[in-house]
Amino acid sequence: MNRRTFWWFTIPSVIVMLALMVFPLITTVWLGFQKLLLRDLNNPEWVGWDNYRDVLSDPEFWAAVQFTLVFVVVTVPASMVFGLAVALLLDRIGRGRAIYMAALLLPFIVTPVVGTLIYEDLFERGGLVSWLWEVFTDDAFAVSASNVKVLIVVQYIWYVMPFAMITFFAGLQTLPEERVEAAALDGAGFWRNLWHVTLPHLRLLVVFVGLISVMDAYRVYDSVFVWTGNRFTEAHTLAVYNVRIATAFDIGRLGKGNAIAVITVIGIFVVLIPFLWRSYRDQIAERT
Amino acid sequence: MQLSRPSVRPSRIALHAIMILLVVWSVTPFVWTAQTSIKFTRDVASKTPVLWGYETTANAYRNFWLDSDDLNMWGVLAFILVVAAAATALGLIGRRARHGWPWFLGATAVICVALWRFPRIWEANDEYDFLVNSVVVTILTMVISLSIGLLAGYGLARYTGISGAVILIVALGFRALPRTAFVLPYFFGAKEIDDWLTSTGVGSWNFPLIDFPGVDTLQILDTRLAIVLALVAVNQPFTIWMLRSFFIEVPKEMEEAAMMDGATRLQAFRKVIIPIMWPAIIATGLFTMLLAYNEYLFVRVLAPTEWTLPVAIVSLTGGESSRTITEAAAASVSITLPIVIVIILFQKHLVRGLGAGAVKG
Repeated sequence: MNRRTFWWFTIPSVIVMLALMVFPLITTVWLGFQKLLLRDLNNPEWVGWDNYRDVLSDPEFWAAVQFTLVFVVVTVPASMVFGLAVALLLDRIGRGRAIYMAALLLPFIVTPVVGTLIYEDLFERGGLVSWLWEVFTDDAFAVSASNVKVLIVVQYIWYVMPFAMITFFAGLQTLPEERVEAAALDGAGFWRNLWHVTLPHLRLLVVFVGLISVMDAYRVYDSVFVWTGNRFTEAHTLAVYNVRIATAFDIGRLGKGNAIAVITVIGIFVVLIPFLWRSYRDQIAERT
Repeated sequence: MQLSRPSVRPSRIALHAIMILLVVWSVTPFVWTAQTSIKFTRDVASKTPVLWGYETTANAYRNFWLDSDDLNMWGVLAFILVVAAAATALGLIGRRARHGWPWFLGATAVICVALWRFPRIWEANDEYDFLVNSVVVTILTMVISLSIGLLAGYGLARYTGISGAVILIVALGFRALPRTAFVLPYFFGAKEIDDWLTSTGVGSWNFPLIDFPGVDTLQILDTRLAIVLALVAVNQPFTIWMLRSFFIEVPKEMEEAAMMDGATRLQAFRKVIIPIMWPAIIATGLFTMLLAYNEYLFVRVLAPTEWTLPVAIVSLTGGESSRTITEAAAASVSITLPIVIVIILFQKHLVRGLGAGAVKG
């Protein structure tokens, strides 16, 4: 395909991305240097690095950074290991696999805010878990500042595990039977087989799932917002904190919000740039 | 057969027992909510949960969706079932047909006509408008996203220049960015455009031919258009990567043969490539659909009153709202059922899509 034709095919998409992704990102950086209140959007005022100083000296910001990091570090490995285990089980199932898979996919496909709402209902008064809790401990269970972080993490693993499961399952389908049989002839047990045959085969997928999971966990908004709302602001992740600062009723500080957004973007790019660079090299290599 | 697989081979019964436990972990919240939605409030409020033998009712659904206190819900249910069955049948035929699109268009038309007739047969609440918003936003996002994504995905799969690689990598970078980096400038930009429209007087122009009901000023903020544009944009990176990975699998010879016979590149694309791309289009379309249907943050910030269902449900049933638990449950079930139907009908495409993005990603 020559260059001209290529651009005719690609230009609508490129225009959309330039107008609605590149340009807004530049606006974000520019707004980060403005003093700008939500109720008075017409008078931006250049304040230099003030917003950044404001953010970096805000203890709530550091609390959000801390919880976001904990959230990523716990949910990503947990959902990947859990997902791999379920994928290995699914791989062994013959009859009924489609039904199991549909049921297991449901949490991942359902609207995240609604999934969180109904998960939360189990823990509210009159909910199944809160009732069981009361039966076994004689104490009323209540979602509180002390347990909400754990609940957020557990519910997120419930939500995101199917992604790792399905991806690893797809990878297992391409595992050559001969290699498994050869390993079996050598007398490899389950763990050795997993370590020396299955995992090396899934290596690229593990990297891929890990990367996507880190990206998604790092920017999580929906479920954390539903769990915490304005009740438990100490359990806010970066994205939730960001939106709260920028759009809080009447005192929304859009300038500061944009500064937080810029910091968030820089945060993910530190992780991402080596990977992007490698993908770029791969793309170039593929082409020649 | 998998009999030759080595390793600790748990007996079949143990295997299924574990799977059932996993399914319980997965679907308990859904079952619980579905139960709650058909109970009477007194059973929900009782201290020890009434797990079975309770009297069922559709009150919660009626209160959430309809503007009447006494109405036989069987008629509504029958209406929904007939529509769902018709749309599903058309969709199933389309999935098997060589040219799927007339059938999918038919299914969409059935749903649209039903949505349009429904509030004229029964008196619907305001919540019904949010359902309509959801459907409109989802369909528009899907159509626009796929149209431009198909072209770009094809171009990127066939072009070998450096600019192609650059676009792909930049798009991959955008895929990683948090929504918050976009939603604030979108909000600000839309506000600026609206102010400009008002100050120049353009905003109060009348366009008799495109007279949207309920809209008397031309604006961006708080419209479905704003949501659709935002969703199309943030979805582009994913769409072009996924479609490109499908296009790469189509051998070049396919369109080259057609072009030998005198077809232009675009004709070859339309007549030769698109017809064999249906599974890919369905898979990508499904993910776009879910993305638009499930979106929360963009709608909440960009459309303070033109909600879609997720925002409506969270705002109307969460926290200090006056809605009862049963109504919240009914709303949750209502928004989830279409997704359950989609999983059942298109599970293979969903799995394939997730796998395809992954294996080549």
